[in-house]
Amino acid sequence: MDDYLIGVLSNIGVISFVALSAYLLLLTGEISFGQQAFFAIGAYAAGIATALWGWSLAAALVWGAAVSGGAALLVGVPTLRLHGLYFAIATLAFAEMVRILFELFRYQISIDGELIGPNGTDGFRNIRYIFDHNIDAFQFLLLIYSLLAAAMLGLLLLERSRLGVIFRMIGQDETLAELQGIPVARRKVLAAGIAGTLAGIGGGLYAHLTTYVEPRIFDIMLGVHSLAYGLIGGLGTAFGPLLGVLIDIGLLESIRALAGYRMIIFGGLVALLLIVRPRGLLDEMVVHKIGRGWRRVSLWARRSSLKPRGNSA
Amino acid sequence: MIDLVQNTLDGVMIGSSYGLLALGFTLIFGVMRRLDLAYGPSIMIGGYFGTVLYLYYGAGPLAVASAVVLGAVIAGIYVERLCFAPMKAGAAIASMVSSFAIWMQLEQAAILVLPRHTYPFPPLATVAPLEFGPFLVRVDHLIMLVCALALAAAVHLALYHTRFGLALRAIIGSPVAAHLVGINVRTAVLLTFAGASAVGGAAGFLVLAVDQQVTPMFGMWATLKGLIAMMIGGLGSVPGAVVGGLLLGIVEVNSQWYFGPQIRDLVAYVVLFAFLVVRPRGLLGRAPEPAMPPKA
Amino acid sequence: MGTAVKPETEGKQRLSDWRMAVKSATYVLATLAMLAPCGLENAHAQIRAKADVSCQPAEKLQYDCIIKLANARTSEPLSGLTLTVGADMPSMPAAHNMRPVKATEEQDKGTYRARIALEMYGDWALRLELSGTVRDRVVKLLRFESDRVGEATPAPGRHRH
Repeated sequence: MDDYLIGVLSNIGVISFVALSAYLLLLTGEISFGQQAFFAIGAYAAGIATALWGWSLAAALVWGAAVSGGAALLVGVPTLRLHGLYFAIATLAFAEMVRILFELFRYQISIDGELIGPNGTDGFRNIRYIFDHNIDAFQFLLLIYSLLAAAMLGLLLLERSRLGVIFRMIGQDETLAELQGIPVARRKVLAAGIAGTLAGIGGGLYAHLTTYVEPRIFDIMLGVHSLAYGLIGGLGTAFGPLLGVLIDIGLLESIRALAGYRMIIFGGLVALLLIVRPRGLLDEMVVHKIGRGWRRVSLWARRSSLKPRGNSA
Repeated sequence: MIDLVQNTLDGVMIGSSYGLLALGFTLIFGVMRRLDLAYGPSIMIGGYFGTVLYLYYGAGPLAVASAVVLGAVIAGIYVERLCFAPMKAGAAIASMVSSFAIWMQLEQAAILVLPRHTYPFPPLATVAPLEFGPFLVRVDHLIMLVCALALAAAVHLALYHTRFGLALRAIIGSPVAAHLVGINVRTAVLLTFAGASAVGGAAGFLVLAVDQQVTPMFGMWATLKGLIAMMIGGLGSVPGAVVGGLLLGIVEVNSQWYFGPQIRDLVAYVVLFAFLVVRPRGLLGRAPEPAMPPKA
Repeated sequence: MGTAVKPETEGKQRLSDWRMAVKSATYVLATLAMLAPCGLENAHAQIRAKADVSCQPAEKLQYDCIIKLANARTSEPLSGLTLTVGADMPSMPAAHNMRPVKATEEQDKGTYRARIALEMYGDWALRLELSGTVRDRVVKLLRFESDRVGEATPAPGRHRH
């Protein structure tokens, strides 16, 4: 596999985490423009852990996820009262605050005569873990996708579990959910925490993938993009945001021939798509139909393998 | 003390353009209940129309202003037709994401046509700043303030003293009821978009003329400022938009004076966040209902 | 989902929620743990490279770049490496990036040349990927304009725009 393809696939994998993060919140009915803040927190935390404190990658990723998850829980509480547009703007404000705080954040240590660490607007360079430990690009790609697979597995199990149904119920109608005896506030904060953790894992991976992060990367564009991926790919299943990322980054890379017009074409395509499919490609209806079709097929398979018992069909 | 007053003066003048941006935003949000993320970029397109006129035809400020307004209106109508009109009633998020996609589209289109980082804009006034005792007032700032207040008054007049304004307020109150009374909601919405874009275009022209340049980042900047001012002043409130803008301007200029440009931006967001958490309705808005229609 | 949940079943169901959360967390941690050993080998410092980049505008949106690679510690020129140059726009990391081009080494040891084609003017982070005897990556932030290439100073707080 050539390096370029590995690079693109790694990008797809990492961005998928933020997309899944925004998707999870969308399930509970809240639009978040701010998941990039947790992506940033995860990136900086994990980067500091390996580059400044000498931790192992695994420990650093867990640390990054924990810090961003904790931050998400902290933010989730004061924003509980907010809905719809108000919540969305609050997340946007929060994310920009985090970004500006990183522009002011300076934490440098001298290692081997060189200053390493986040340096405000100059960013955080030399997160060189994968080079210092001889992890090649393909190995890191495997790491990204194993973590992504684990996260997807968790999300898919969640969807079929009671908690997943609770999230969707809250998304449909909060008052009704509350009347059913669901502690809506606690579940929403839980969703926020899980979403923040997801974004944080992605951030930690991103920092080590690119070895260089700066606050500019974590701007509103990233946030609205991650929201858009879920919406393009479909809100019916956790594969939706992945599909969205694939379409955006995959398409973005392949329409290189029309390099200068890429955004124009892509923007237009997205707008048209959303007219026809406002809940994305793999929306709930499609997923339901796929599920029904699958059940029919497996029922038919089972029936044809049973020995006929007398008169019964 | 003098600094504080000077900053507040400057803030009021700069804030007046924020107020205009917020005004356009509020009009669109009021009738649509949806957020148009392409609002700033459509104003930027207007700005690019204006700079082309200025750069290649040497036009004066009034002609450039008209070009900016025209460009903004054209872009605004394009956005409305593509992102808002065809969407079914409940697809609010889809509209928003669609407007975001168009934001990217407009930005890239502008960069394709005019690829440089910055383009010049004609100044509003070239005379020396006026002096009132120890305070300095830039003439172009003053012009901006006067124009902004005049425009805000005009919008207020249109909303409260014309039949179209009455129809708009009916739609803002309840689109269904307005439809039942015989108001052509779709046409009214289209016209509101055009009007809001025109107001935004005027605001954009004022800001760009004071800055004497237009950049591709202007779109995002305008959207953010308009959004923050609108939320602080109160969603859906016309006087709130103006007040929010003025307040934002004052806070910004003072923060920048005492703490620098990064803190300035930080303070703006902190104020916004604080308002949302403590008093989401803003200064003059109504108490928030579920701001967006039930999910779809 | 009809009636409200009885207290006993509520407790059981909350337990199953927790079980599920713990299960997912275990998957993630297990995966991480399995991959941790990958990182523990070769934990000694590799050769670090430093780069000196200067670019000149060639045709529209194309630039000729001369890159000098040296050992970061000893300043000895690094020759015979495979150098690929990629570019990302900091404000849009996944989009707007350039397909990496291979650089060719010049007569002077440690000096490489590459021609890059960008999508638009502005700040770009050049990604110099080294492979061969030395494996490293150096990132250089530069501002590419129509007539010159200079240092990129990430503007703090964007003076208004």
